[in-house]
Amino acid sequence: MIKNKETFRQQKKVQNSIFTFLAFAFFVFSMLQLNIVPERIVRSIDRLGYIFSNMFPPVTNEPLNLFGAAIESIQVAILGTILGVLISLFLAVLAAKNLTFSPYLSYFIKAFAGFVRAVPALIWALLFIVAVGLGPTPGILALAINSIGMLVKVYGEALEEIDMGIVEALESAGATKLQVILQGVFPSVLTAFTAWSLFRLDVNIRYSAILGVVGAGGIGWELMKAAQMSRYDEALMVTIVIFGMVMSAEVISEFMKKRTNAATAQALN
Amino acid sequence: MMETILEIKHLNKTYPDGTEALKDISLSVKKGEFIVIIGPSGAGKSTFLRSINRLSEPSGGEILFHGEDIVKANRAKLRKIRRNIGMIFQGFNLVKRLPTVRNVLHGKLGYMSTWKGALGLFGQEEVEEALDILERVGLEKQAFKRADELSGGQQQRVAIARAINQSPSMILADEPIASLDPNASRVVMDYLQKACRDEGFTTIVNLHQVDFAKEYADRIVGIKNGEVYFDGPVHELTEDVIKAIYATDKEAMPV
Amino acid sequence: MRQEALKVSPSSQPSMTKKQSKYDEYKRRRKILLKSQAYIVGLISLLALWSIWGTGFNLLSLVFGTYEILVFIFTDMFPPDLSVIGSLISPALDTLYMSYVGMVISVLVSLILGVLAANNLSPHWIVARVSRSVTAFLRSVPAVVWAIILVSGIGLGPLTGTIAIGLSGIGILGKAYAEVLESIDENQLEGVRATGANWFQVIGQAVWPQFKAGFVSWSLYKLDMNIREAAILGLVGAGGLGYYLQGSINLFQYKEAATAILMIFALILLVEYMTAKIRERII
Repeated sequence: MIKNKETFRQQKKVQNSIFTFLAFAFFVFSMLQLNIVPERIVRSIDRLGYIFSNMFPPVTNEPLNLFGAAIESIQVAILGTILGVLISLFLAVLAAKNLTFSPYLSYFIKAFAGFVRAVPALIWALLFIVAVGLGPTPGILALAINSIGMLVKVYGEALEEIDMGIVEALESAGATKLQVILQGVFPSVLTAFTAWSLFRLDVNIRYSAILGVVGAGGIGWELMKAAQMSRYDEALMVTIVIFGMVMSAEVISEFMKKRTNAATAQALN
Repeated sequence: MMETILEIKHLNKTYPDGTEALKDISLSVKKGEFIVIIGPSGAGKSTFLRSINRLSEPSGGEILFHGEDIVKANRAKLRKIRRNIGMIFQGFNLVKRLPTVRNVLHGKLGYMSTWKGALGLFGQEEVEEALDILERVGLEKQAFKRADELSGGQQQRVAIARAINQSPSMILADEPIASLDPNASRVVMDYLQKACRDEGFTTIVNLHQVDFAKEYADRIVGIKNGEVYFDGPVHELTEDVIKAIYATDKEAMPV
Repeated sequence: MRQEALKVSPSSQPSMTKKQSKYDEYKRRRKILLKSQAYIVGLISLLALWSIWGTGFNLLSLVFGTYEILVFIFTDMFPPDLSVIGSLISPALDTLYMSYVGMVISVLVSLILGVLAANNLSPHWIVARVSRSVTAFLRSVPAVVWAIILVSGIGLGPLTGTIAIGLSGIGILGKAYAEVLESIDENQLEGVRATGANWFQVIGQAVWPQFKAGFVSWSLYKLDMNIREAAILGLVGAGGLGYYLQGSINLFQYKEAATAILMIFALILLVEYMTAKIRERII
């Protein structure tokens, strides 16, 4: 028995060593395939040092432009999130196995959401630009559709986990489907939905900052301009503004969460 | 008082996998009766009760409630019938994140227009009635607490209040005390009995505790293997009958 | 009938004032909730209006855009031109290599930063603070931003993408590792320390066994993420499938672009499947 355990451990150790070795070998192989050789690394470190030293102090020549672009990015993210949340609320109810009208509809919506989610937001933006033209609109639509992909999944999972007893209880009181969903189901999943929606806002703000890269409006374009002119000090300034955007979104959503919780605590004691 | 309120004729329920849960059950219930259904677990008690308001769809038979066939009712009709039948569950089935009083108000959903109910726009009269009912089940102090802050026994009393608020003519209770301790069980059963006497509800309760059944019932129905095995007043339920109901019948038990 | 029922029951004859005060209490509490809901709905509506005004977004373009994208996908992109798959294999492999090397880089750096940032292992709280700030900053800046800056500095190609992925990975893994390390059981550390073990022995004997599971699952999660990021980094010139996609869209070769998108899709699924398998085996 003890011997068995010992050999098992030995085996596991050998296995682990093989794993580690394979992982390392694949790393070296990948480096070679990408033509990342010491000489190039040294050269890029050199270039990185150059970029870094040219980044300071961060400046901007057109503060108003930069500010306006940042605002536009935030607006794109807000609209993309709101549209995504509203449409997902509706679709998620139809996609949840326990609430849907037909299982086929549920499969169809889930498959649609899965596909939409797997294609990155930036590619959606690229496609929407071709379809509807440049500007913030393709950005908003791209974020909305990418949000739907994720939110339908997570909302649907939350809905499928609810206690079906609530649904039965309200139905046996003679409530209609809509009443069951709004009075029984949504209060039970509200916290989860809020958390996921705010998380998605956070993700969308990060995306919105880079949508400009493909021409979908916002601060990303400012970054492209600065980088193409090798103005690293300006690029750093844009980066700092992006950092600020992401941070402020976190602070605001935290504030809103606290306010709601305080009100709820006051009303239910 | 002797008017028949519920008439069940040849009720059958077969699950898709072929299991026969209910076999040709017929039962006639008079207004104001307090019926307790007993039987071993898996005998079909729960399926039977849930078939009455079609939470579980019957496969055949008739259920005449106030002379109307529930089995044949369409959705709109079914809703109207359901609001007239209060249901109490083993797991309480309250919306845990909402205040107690809102859970009681949910009993009124069947009487409201879809949108008014969906948005929770309850009027002053409705709220006052709900608060009154809560007081009657001894929970006036808990009215504004979140439902999940209450103890199990208290939650079941909220569920009773919700059923009362439907102003039903009949109440179905599916194992209402199975997940409660003996003290809480007694309190809940007392409130249920009191409510039914005060309001004149006809009541059908599933219980697996025979002593409770004998104490509260006017009439006892024993179900075994999906069939009515015994139906009569409490004093006719002898020890032999109880033994027979709960005995494992080797022939009838599917392996 | 309902009202009658109420009168029959013994305790249902409260004085009007009591009834009134209870209803007032209900009103008061309901008002607090409604006010907070109204506040939030109002705030969201204001934000929406402000954003619509700022971006010139037209709600009709939701319908219009859906229609246009469907037309675009089904007439211009469909059916995908599968004949280009051969020339897509090399960019797809590049994307895979970039993700992997990027992950290894961020794992190595994050291990150091994570130990320095974890309150229970850090040599000094100032070091922990600095390490945390660095990871927070790297986390808040998307990989594409790093790629844009690096493309203009180092040039086009996969090396740029690899470094960009590595940098943004440090932000996520540095924080994750620090949190996993902070949640380990102090008693075991004390036990090993008490035997007179040095710092490396403490790490090897007490920290690593508890850290392993979190380490593996976070690192593999990052690899999943990297594939998505690597696929789009090419859009700004950092190599891989995205670069090919950008090129074919610029040349209006939408059927080729469709194949590239399918390829990205397949690659993401493949890597997710593999990481799930590895995770199962190790943990």
